[in-house]
Amino acid sequence: MFEGLKLSEEVKIIEKQKIPSGATMLFGFPDVGLVGVIAASHMISELNLTEVAYLDSELLPPLIVLHEGLPHSPIRIFGNHSVLLAVSETAVPADAIQHIMRTLVDWGKNKNVKVMISMSGIPVQNRQDIHELKVFGAASNSSVLKTIQDKGMEILKEGYMVGPQAIIMHYCARIGVPAITMLAQCFYNYPDPEAAAATVKELAKITGIKVDVSALLEKGEEIRLRARDVMKRTQRELAKMKKTQEYDIPVYIS
Amino acid sequence: MSTRKKRSIFDIIDEYFEGLDEWAERFREAMIERPSWNQRASTIEPLRDILVTPDEVIVTADLPYAEESSVQVKPLNEDTIEINAKMTRKVRFADFGITQHAGEFQTFHCQTRIPVPVDTKKMEIHLKRGILEIHLPRKHRYRIPIE
Repeated sequence: MFEGLKLSEEVKIIEKQKIPSGATMLFGFPDVGLVGVIAASHMISELNLTEVAYLDSELLPPLIVLHEGLPHSPIRIFGNHSVLLAVSETAVPADAIQHIMRTLVDWGKNKNVKVMISMSGIPVQNRQDIHELKVFGAASNSSVLKTIQDKGMEILKEGYMVGPQAIIMHYCARIGVPAITMLAQCFYNYPDPEAAAATVKELAKITGIKVDVSALLEKGEEIRLRARDVMKRTQRELAKMKKTQEYDIPVYIS
Repeated sequence: MSTRKKRSIFDIIDEYFEGLDEWAERFREAMIERPSWNQRASTIEPLRDILVTPDEVIVTADLPYAEESSVQVKPLNEDTIEINAKMTRKVRFADFGITQHAGEFQTFHCQTRIPVPVDTKKMEIHLKRGILEIHLPRKHRYRIPIE
């Protein structure tokens, strides 16, 4: 077992094994429709990813997650030789999110990750009438933006982004780490496994990480039932982050 | 001499809304901090949302596994509706690997307060892909004539 980097006093990442260099780092954090969390959970199971590190922070609520009777941090990093996936099983408090996301980005940079990709959602009011969900993309620099555009991803050209992916994008742009945000059309307040499946499929186009989503779609109703409590707590944190600002039209300052 | 800074109307409005936000947060916590299931009644509380438009109030609820023919929406009084729906399968805590609680659920149940006056007699309900949509026409549409 390896003691990880101590990047700050308040947020620590403890490594459980040797971390591969040059991997693709993915993020699945609680947000609208729990798109990232559901996608991440499915990918962990389909790609047989194992826990390689976990986050320890006094900024998090006093909780642990028990699996098979053993304690785990609610924020963990799973991985294999080419993928690292950071995921949270609990709503991250709005006042801790800046610090936590920046520490994860710093950690990934230290592991020479080639790109950081946030999987999340963009809420649409008529969601139940949409069958073919679009996945929009944004990137930390013009070269990455062109790459995802060339691979057929629709670009989120104007608007506000609020939440974990906004911090990752802004910080990556500042420190020069290539980053992509994927936003699938989704429900605002309800867990959305279909949006998670759309994200996983789109991810394959831009990274080559192919994951079968049929089990995710088959278990859709079970996931919606199971994810209710995390969704409910996430709604509260989203309200604190002023998430509805994503509906706003920005003032154009070029 | 008093050094007290004069507050602008915007400061007063900001303070008012901050106070309101705090009150709303306390209220939300009081309402949310309870289990989303009721072991005694064997019911699960669905996630729900309310949208108020100029003409109607739209209440939605996420009802996975809901049996369409069993969905019932009942006005309890002028500003509260009750939602009940049976599920097509029984859900046990054990299905989610939880062994410290015993119990099984096959019904969704909740009550929702409507924030503005509505005509519950003209209520319309639809179930689309597991999402219940309740349309309630608003009762009073005030019009203030422009002089």
